[in-house]
Amino acid sequence: MALTICWLDDLAKAKDHARQTKKPILLDFFNPK
Amino acid sequence: MGAVTYPNDKVVKFVDYNFVPVQIETSNTVLMNQFNVSWTPTIIVLDADGNEVHREVGFLAPEEFIPTFMVGKGKFYFNAEAHPEAQGMFDEALREYPNSAAAAEALFFLGVSRYKMTHDPKPLRAAYETLTAKFPGSEWTKRAAPYRLIPS
Repeated sequence: MALTICWLDDLAKAKDHARQTKKPILLDFFNPK
Repeated sequence: MGAVTYPNDKVVKFVDYNFVPVQIETSNTVLMNQFNVSWTPTIIVLDADGNEVHREVGFLAPEEFIPTFMVGKGKFYFNAEAHPEAQGMFDEALREYPNSAAAAEALFFLGVSRYKMTHDPKPLRAAYETLTAKFPGSEWTKRAAPYRLIPS
């Protein structure tokens, strides 16, 4: 099975995870079209 | 990015190990405006308070994406004054991807981080000399030019 990045879609949730894990956030703006 | 770089196994492992990844569609005009984004892909490294520490615009192949965001994570530590961790990321980018476009920025910030940690200016001069030798055309070599005046 192919590996995939576990993207969040909520910046507030990402900030919470970043605080807990002490990791930086990678914020990707993308155009799905 | 979604077709080439993000499905790459090394990129997946690198992102999941080093970052909290979040993807926002361009239809989210509130965040597009908040971060002043007008083109995609735009990829920004933030700290947990939402402060921007690094930004890239445009496509990056896997072999450039990984060292570019090693430098981005290094700058996250650098801004937090966590210099041993910052230097670890810059060193890793230089060791594993010595010929990448991100290597010159890694060298620049490695010198600056060593200076900030020790208050000894010699690492700045060393960074300038290495940049001049390895990346004579890089913008980071030009930015380090004043360090040539530091006595060796």
